Amino acid sequence: MQMRKLIVSLTAMFFLVLNAAAQDRTISGVVTNEKNLPLAGVSVGTPDGKNGTQTDNDGKYSLKISATARVLIFSYVNYQSATLAVGKLLNLSVSLQPADTKMEEVVVVGYGTQQKKAFTGSSSKVDAKQFANLVSPSIDRQLAGRAAGVQVTNAGGLINAPARIRIRGTNSISQNNDPLIVVDGTPIISGNLAATTNSNTLGDINPSDIENIEVLKDGSATAIYGSRAAGGVILITTKKGTKGKSKITYDAFVGYSGALKRFDLLNAADFITIANEKLRNAGLAARANTNPSAGSFDTDWQGMVMNKNATVMNHTISLQGGGDKTTYYFSLNYSDQKGIIISNYNKAYRVRMNIEHEANKFFKIGNNTSISRQEDGDQNNGSNALGGSIASALRLLPNVSPYAATASGWNINYPANGNMQPGANSQSVDDNFSNVAFTLRYNKNYSDKYRLINNTFMELTPVKGLKFRTQLGVDMLNDYSYQGLTPLHGDGFGTAAGGTNGSLFNSDQTWLRFVVSNYINYNLTLARKHNFFLTAGHELQKETYKFLSASATNISDLFYIKENLISGAGSIQTVGGNYDKNSLESLFGRFNYDFKNKYFLQATVRRDGQSALAPGKKYGVFPGISVGWRPSQEKFWKNSPVLSKGINEFKIKASYAKVGNTLGGYPYLSTFGSANYGNIGGIAPNLVGNPLLQWETNAKYDVGVDMQLFNGRMTLTADWFKNDINNIVLRVPTPPSAGVPGNAISQNIGSMENKGIELSLGFNVMNKKDFSWDVNFNYSNVQNKVTKLYNVGGVPVPFIDGSYNIIKVGEPINIIYGYEYAGVNSANGNPMYYKADGSLIQMNLNAGGVIGGYYYALSKSDPILGVRTTLSTDDRKKLGSGIPVWFGALTNTFRYKGFEFEFMLRYSGGNKIMNITSQEALFNQSFQNNGKEILTRWTKPGDITSVPKLFFGAGNAISLNQNANSRFVEKGDYLRLQNVVFSYTLDSKRIEEKTRGIVKTVRFFTQGQNLYVWTKYKGADPDNISAAGLDAAVSPQLRTISMGISLGF
Amino acid sequence: MNKVIIIFLCFFGLFTASSCKKQLDTTPFNSVTDASAFETADRCLLSLNGVYDAAQSGAYTDGSFRGYPFGAANIEQGDCRGEDMLNVQAFFQVTYQATYNATTANNVAMWNTLYALINKANVAIDGFRKAGGKNVLTSAVALQYEAECRFLRAMAHHELLLHYARPYMDGNGTQLGVPWRDFPINSSDAVNLIRATPRATVATIYNNILTDLDFVETNLTAVPASFVSPATKNVRVTRGAAVALKMRIKLHKGDWAGVITEGNKLIPATITPLPWTAPVCPIGSWSLTANPDGPFADNASVESMFSIRNDPLDAPNVNGVLPKMYGGAGFGARGLVSVSPVIWNNAGWLCTDKRRTSLVAATTNASGNQSQFSTKYRKYTTSDDFAPQIRYAEVLLTQAEAEARNAAAVSTRAVDLLNIVRNRSLANPAVEQYTAGGFATKNALIAAILLERRIEFLAEGKRWGDISRNAVDPNFTTGGIPAKAVNGTDGLANFVCGAGYTPGQAAIPYSDFRFLWPIPATEVVQNPIVVQNPGY
Repeated sequence: MQMRKLIVSLTAMFFLVLNAAAQDRTISGVVTNEKNLPLAGVSVGTPDGKNGTQTDNDGKYSLKISATARVLIFSYVNYQSATLAVGKLLNLSVSLQPADTKMEEVVVVGYGTQQKKAFTGSSSKVDAKQFANLVSPSIDRQLAGRAAGVQVTNAGGLINAPARIRIRGTNSISQNNDPLIVVDGTPIISGNLAATTNSNTLGDINPSDIENIEVLKDGSATAIYGSRAAGGVILITTKKGTKGKSKITYDAFVGYSGALKRFDLLNAADFITIANEKLRNAGLAARANTNPSAGSFDTDWQGMVMNKNATVMNHTISLQGGGDKTTYYFSLNYSDQKGIIISNYNKAYRVRMNIEHEANKFFKIGNNTSISRQEDGDQNNGSNALGGSIASALRLLPNVSPYAATASGWNINYPANGNMQPGANSQSVDDNFSNVAFTLRYNKNYSDKYRLINNTFMELTPVKGLKFRTQLGVDMLNDYSYQGLTPLHGDGFGTAAGGTNGSLFNSDQTWLRFVVSNYINYNLTLARKHNFFLTAGHELQKETYKFLSASATNISDLFYIKENLISGAGSIQTVGGNYDKNSLESLFGRFNYDFKNKYFLQATVRRDGQSALAPGKKYGVFPGISVGWRPSQEKFWKNSPVLSKGINEFKIKASYAKVGNTLGGYPYLSTFGSANYGNIGGIAPNLVGNPLLQWETNAKYDVGVDMQLFNGRMTLTADWFKNDINNIVLRVPTPPSAGVPGNAISQNIGSMENKGIELSLGFNVMNKKDFSWDVNFNYSNVQNKVTKLYNVGGVPVPFIDGSYNIIKVGEPINIIYGYEYAGVNSANGNPMYYKADGSLIQMNLNAGGVIGGYYYALSKSDPILGVRTTLSTDDRKKLGSGIPVWFGALTNTFRYKGFEFEFMLRYSGGNKIMNITSQEALFNQSFQNNGKEILTRWTKPGDITSVPKLFFGAGNAISLNQNANSRFVEKGDYLRLQNVVFSYTLDSKRIEEKTRGIVKTVRFFTQGQNLYVWTKYKGADPDNISAAGLDAAVSPQLRTISMGISLGF
Repeated sequence: MNKVIIIFLCFFGLFTASSCKKQLDTTPFNSVTDASAFETADRCLLSLNGVYDAAQSGAYTDGSFRGYPFGAANIEQGDCRGEDMLNVQAFFQVTYQATYNATTANNVAMWNTLYALINKANVAIDGFRKAGGKNVLTSAVALQYEAECRFLRAMAHHELLLHYARPYMDGNGTQLGVPWRDFPINSSDAVNLIRATPRATVATIYNNILTDLDFVETNLTAVPASFVSPATKNVRVTRGAAVALKMRIKLHKGDWAGVITEGNKLIPATITPLPWTAPVCPIGSWSLTANPDGPFADNASVESMFSIRNDPLDAPNVNGVLPKMYGGAGFGARGLVSVSPVIWNNAGWLCTDKRRTSLVAATTNASGNQSQFSTKYRKYTTSDDFAPQIRYAEVLLTQAEAEARNAAAVSTRAVDLLNIVRNRSLANPAVEQYTAGGFATKNALIAAILLERRIEFLAEGKRWGDISRNAVDPNFTTGGIPAKAVNGTDGLANFVCGAGYTPGQAAIPYSDFRFLWPIPATEVVQNPIVVQNPGY
């Protein structure tokens, strides 16, 4: 919205030029910014407004002024105006300093903008420039640490998986928790939507097209989005053209990614020792390396699966400019990023055209169009899938080669069976894990997505202060996915005699969303002190979803496993399809009043109607209110030297709103869905609905202060917030013996709260002519607490059970809940646990008792099996909270002449992680590889260790798989060196000289992303967690080094 | 200001005219509402098929289709609880080694899908009664559909008893059974009605099952005409299947006379084991195929009285479907459940028995080693082996056992019934067949019949039922969960006909809590009136 201001001032300038009077002399000069770079478009004029001009692209101006002129005023948006005496000078150059009062900024809000000083809600602006050139297929993956209260988790290194964004905590238990994302006023389709790959729908927005991101956090800011605001709102504004000479920018970077940390697995020699020890302890003969003549290998399976240097490149060329009436922004982008898993990649082709035309002062029309194509490549990522890329890499036998003398050259057993060849062992890997080095190269998981996001708007300004805007937004997304599984090995294994024998799958899904918005903005100032601002409108959103899929298995020839399902390629063919339609219709209004820019009041209301709810229950009203006070504008403050010197700006604000969270599907209806009996057509109950269902409600409270200190060099924002979430839709379990589909009927019954504090600090530590140092810091602390669940038989349930987590009243959502490990019995190597009553028990792995049976123990070195007992679900206890409690980031930016150096440290913690990767894969007791930690296992009486005696086949029992076990629960705290960016901007004057004005700016940059993590967490990465705090064989994180150039023409 | 308001209204009106409340009045496009599911005769039939579907493919705990309860899982679980089939890797290890707890997925899924089937049956029964009342269905068809549902309801309740309750013969049905459900639960209010219903006694459930089956027998024709084309007589319930299930139920009750009464409806008075002549059932013409392989080579054989239908396009997934689980890895299957040396090496199973060759084959297992695999399920690519529930052979062997037990001495009728099944698999029946004189006592005959059941129904999931019902029989008890070969045992060296076998996995006594499966924790928590089995 700075643009709009600029346009206004430019228009004013033209006006001035037209009215220029007789001149006496010409004064000229150069206007530069604080870094001594030329500033174009600076208004230069005399106070009476009779003479004026603006600087050109080189910052130069030339102005005829009358002999009587005493001073010139230099003004530029977001910079402090300078008023300089002219004297007899013919040459007057000036360096403008950035505006020190951030309060003059505007905040993008729903259906309009507000001046920051008048804004009484809570939002965070994210400067898109900060990461426009960072390597990332989409912006969500770079949002982490950028804004207080916004917790962003990149759970793993798959580049096409969207980040998990939680604004002010987890705001729902069963429904959507993601923020609403609005691009240029149109709520867009978001999520992970492709059929055969991870896919990031936000990847359709080119990060370098983004002008501004505003994260709306509290109730008053989000209430205008009513029933969709519970998870917060992210408003993305794309770049617009500016009037004046056109500007072409070309940005390019190349880079490499590798795994930040790989899993530490056994080598071949250690594997042989461990595998045979497992067997020996179970009374079985050795199987590893029983046939050494078959050759010795030491295969790095992770190396077979992961790229060491995954390349990335990105090219963007953009053109922006405009004439008197029309402005335009146009960009083209190509990006190609490879993930660290060899089959993982994302390619994006993105075009944007934003155009605005002011026909006259009454009528403005414009269009923002983004056309994009994303190609994603992926693989089986199942955390314990036999063909899972990481799951297999962790388990495949290191003393076996990926290659063998077969027709394909790979170690597979086609056509005899789907196993790998055992190499020097007497058997191949247990559970038939696939030769993933082969399957990742021969199987294909591909998605091709086309997206059109378009919005057309018209604005009428019939009288001053009143604006009608009508906007038609269209979001069309098509995903065409393919999966081809080779019959030779892995998930598609088979021959004509049996097995899947190759599998082909295609799906086509199309989302089409229309959003028609009509609203007014009306501004009125009375008596120079009463300011009114009104927004009111209507919006209708319609969405349809179409899905079609086809698959063929038992394919006739390997030839067909290439690109697409071909008619007749397979003898078993299936089709699938679906259709859905939903709509949302709304009326909304917002009223702002401020008195003398000191006292502020805002009231918002939205009434939403939703197709998902029962007739009579479709509509809900979501109100919000906020107040603000700027004591720094009061006389007592201004008159107090202490206050006014120290604190230039001080605003207190408070807000309350009740917003909602929409429901999907038709949860009010009881329905019968397709239920074919051995392919004889049938229908059966698939949902017992609840006609009383309504929105989840989220009452958001916020109290905050905005401050500027030390002449604006320091800005401080602090907020306390609380979200009271009620009517949470819970799938209230029905006893399984009722036989209700899904064993649940949904009700609006749960309650939860998030409360916390947010702090943001910006500090311009130093600001010299050639050197500046800025520090930005943010801290958030979000405490989640479940306050109410449902009743069973009139009695509140103590918790909702799950396998690793429970949802318990009085605790944060999804606490990790399981068994408390007591270590290893040093006398016999048995794993030990504490029962709920505190008694010590051991799971027996030795002769003299039932293997796998539980017995009491007197101490951790008691060799005797006590009385037989059990470890039951009642023995579980809280092992930690699965969601981070505190998080934030610290960014330092140093500038010296043309050099700029920035690094960002990000931190997060207060959570525990249940390391399922360790539990199920790294410590398995099958004929599979292990993590290095297993070398510290108990081997003989007296050994003090936390790793129990090995025992073949008892992995599930020893590690209590599928249950949380404190042995594998670790702290999730970390500090991460998120980004280091170093750039150099050449002296533009010299560049222009050297290139005869063709090239205007040159900037080189090199950057490192995700360079290091300080953590005690032993898994691949403490960010590799699900929403419930579980880490299950997720791809390691990427570390990326890149370098690039930015050219301006 | 007036001007402003007028402009505003015009402008606003122009663009909001396009919207109307209709936009919000959409309904699903992929499901019909419950109100309309029984609106037409065609939909009634679809709803009936949906009940069968619930028997074939209920949702596993992760939502996938693993053939619970009857599409595959009752067979796999029934076998893996016994000693005659062997779990190769981890897949059924929890069942095989009895290390389940109240959250173990397989046990939870069995409970959940059986009750899901029961409720779908009850919803459909309610729908059919109403459709019959409104003449959407003729009363005959409404009764037929209801009968089919009540058969499935009865079979499901019995399967529940097998796993979650002590056998009938322990205390004559006085032990704690499972909750009985016989009304539709399709709303929160209906759910509340069951919260006061505790686990019924085993005897109550047996009585209710028999009441249902009597209804089925009365209201089904031998083979309804509509089952002929398209041919669904093997995969829908017929009167013969109902009587056969009644025999099974009464056998479990130890009501030998009752079994005989039912069996006489299905078995001709004269049977000829030598020369072997296939007996033909008076109700529905069910019979034995000439070869033991017949019911497996042909899903629609005359012997297959009731199977659950699987189809290439609608079969349990690779984590459940019978040919993948039981088929050897060498056949392109997963090789996860092999034949156990316990039965293979049993001296009572003749080495020349055709079932050793036509229904078992040596091939690689999931570990890549050689083992013996059942070939009863052989559609390794298309997965469309039906899941056999009742074969005519079972009718005959059940009747043989009842006759043997009911008689004071060695029953020749029982010997004939045993031979009619066994002789077709013998290399030389004239020499090898049983004779009445060959049995010193009636118990020796009963033991032979029980062994014959293990051989004939190997890999058909019937083993657990026999272990369970005989657990308190002093003469024929296995003592509880029998000793088994060690999980993962493989290598053909272990398989030697007639050599006997000493299993390495210890037996679990009948008195041990693990003889029963735990009631799922979700049930006990949600519905505390359903008490947990002791020990869990």
